[in-house]
Amino acid sequence: MADEIKKTDDVSRRQFFTKLGLGSLSIAAVGTAAFSYQFLEPNVLYEPSPVVNAGKPDRYPLGSVTIDVNSGIYIIHSEEGYFSLSAICTHLGCMTAWKPELNQIACPCHGSKFEQSGKKIEGPAPKPLPWKRVWINDDGDLLVDRSTDVPPLARDSFVRV
Amino acid sequence: MAKTVGRSFDQYFDDLRGTRVWRSIFRSGTGSSTLKRALAIQQNVFLHLFSTKVRTRVLSFSATWYLGTLTLGTFFILVGTGIPLMFYYHPSVPQAYADTKDLQFVVSSGLFLRNLHRWSAHAMVFLVFAHMFKVFYRGAYRTPREFNWVIGIVLLLITLLLSYTGYLLPWDQLAYWAITVGSNIASAVPVIGDKIHFLLLGGNAVNANALLRFYVLHCMILPLAAMFFVAIHFWRIRKDGGLYAHSSEPAVVRASASMTTEVAPSGKGAR
Amino acid sequence: MADSKDFVAGVDSNAKKAPRRIVFITRRTSAQVKAETEDQLQTFPEVLFRAAVAIMTLAVVLVWIALMFNAPLEGIADPSHTPNPAKAPWYFLGLQEMLHYFPPVVAGVVVPGLVVMALIVIPYFKVNIEAEGLFTKDPQKRLRIFYIVAGGLSLFLLFPKLDPRAEEHVYVALVPTLIIAGLMILASRSSPQSSSAFRRYLAARPLSYWVMTWFLFELVVLTAVGTFFRGPGWSWVWPWQGY
Repeated sequence: MADEIKKTDDVSRRQFFTKLGLGSLSIAAVGTAAFSYQFLEPNVLYEPSPVVNAGKPDRYPLGSVTIDVNSGIYIIHSEEGYFSLSAICTHLGCMTAWKPELNQIACPCHGSKFEQSGKKIEGPAPKPLPWKRVWINDDGDLLVDRSTDVPPLARDSFVRV
Repeated sequence: MAKTVGRSFDQYFDDLRGTRVWRSIFRSGTGSSTLKRALAIQQNVFLHLFSTKVRTRVLSFSATWYLGTLTLGTFFILVGTGIPLMFYYHPSVPQAYADTKDLQFVVSSGLFLRNLHRWSAHAMVFLVFAHMFKVFYRGAYRTPREFNWVIGIVLLLITLLLSYTGYLLPWDQLAYWAITVGSNIASAVPVIGDKIHFLLLGGNAVNANALLRFYVLHCMILPLAAMFFVAIHFWRIRKDGGLYAHSSEPAVVRASASMTTEVAPSGKGAR
Repeated sequence: MADSKDFVAGVDSNAKKAPRRIVFITRRTSAQVKAETEDQLQTFPEVLFRAAVAIMTLAVVLVWIALMFNAPLEGIADPSHTPNPAKAPWYFLGLQEMLHYFPPVVAGVVVPGLVVMALIVIPYFKVNIEAEGLFTKDPQKRLRIFYIVAGGLSLFLLFPKLDPRAEEHVYVALVPTLIIAGLMILASRSSPQSSSAFRRYLAARPLSYWVMTWFLFELVVLTAVGTFFRGPGWSWVWPWQGY
């Protein structure tokens, strides 16, 4: 009688080692998963920098919309100043084009159309074209950081010379 | 408190094992009955290469030193480290060298993977030779196991080729000149030597073509060949009656011991 | 139980009819089936767990080595600059050592080819199946053959260019050969009744053992020499000298 009570209260040796083994195995598995994930994420990328040097601001006359197809951005000089839009359509990633005769940015793939401010007019694109951070560097060049979005039409999203 | 939680966890696990989904995946289930243990081998696509029972004598460490198993273990480690290494390696010249340096300095766990791959490769070559000598000295190559010995020699050659092709991949001075010397030996074969040299390198010198060929050989062709022959090797062990189970005493001692005739158990009770 | 007078056997070589097999069993010559009386164990868990432990131990050792020692990496491959010495991977250094003495056809093609072929045919030779001590049968004749073979091989290794005045001697291969030959002579002077267990052991070794042990010894010595004792220009260095 006393032995039975003892059995139900204590963990048997087999159970202890099973728990120990499974516990160590799960810790090792979690550790392996963590290290594997770290391994798979590259620490160094051999891709071009997201910062684009667009040259001197006077290359872009007032009212102009200029596309740089290699870096996928528009440099637009409006009355409020210079700003930059991403030229990549927010639908499925095609390169849009500026249509001056329609005063629209149009995407050839599925017919999305955007205003100069990036706002979507029509088409399947879910979001407006994002604004990218612009600033003037020490040499007086216009720089665009494609990895940083800024609020559209906000005062600080323009750069004035 | 922990015990009640523990018990309900076990209960939960048991309930899980009763579900239809679980039983559709794991058909035999666990258990310590002979049937369950036999099914664990027999119902498993990877393990049913083995028989469900082995003779006890076969398991003795001193008989084989488990060298065959250890060689297989190094092979698993090599595949397990080699495949991740492929994620950061471009087999082109001179990118290969830059990638090897990247693996050592930039990639998380890259140094560890490369080291483990290298040392396991050396270990595998050593173990496969040791396995061959151990099999010879205990006489496990004799009838009916002759052909398995030949398969083993084929595996030895595949192992050496795997190590040799892998040696070139870092594209450093050590790699380049070791392979140059080695492939020049190949061209010493009479009549067809130069042809072999040309085919092996994909050119007249160790260059980008050679690197790519060695990469394909090392990562695809030779591992597949190795797995193919390993499967045959294991299958032959089983079909030859399991591992050779006599002790590694010399046969002459055994011969005199077995001079006494063995009488089969009489009559009834035949299996 | 067949009484041959009462029995007639016919042979039919009609190719269109399927052959029938007829077994003649005479007394006490039936195939005796030796019943399997050995103990057996379940593969799972006995074999699998032992294999798992062995592989895990191996993995721990290799991981520890990988954490302690870095794999070598030299400068980028430069076809215009050969390092001195330019060594093959360690398992080929035995071969490279032989290349120092013999032309590439011999050391690189013939010898490895013969070695591989010899390894493959090992199980098919009757001499390997019988496995009696080499000098237990016909000791005089076998000793004579042994002296001729060992002596011839030793002379060849001493004068590989077949010129007694040549400076080159293949000592690295000669020394192991002489050691094994010495052991074989000791074996010829021993018998199963010898005093020491070692001599009894030697006396019982078959020819296949001697050949394989000679091969193993040569392999180890040649590889060790190529790894530790060879420096720039494949010159002889002592391992502690460094180069």
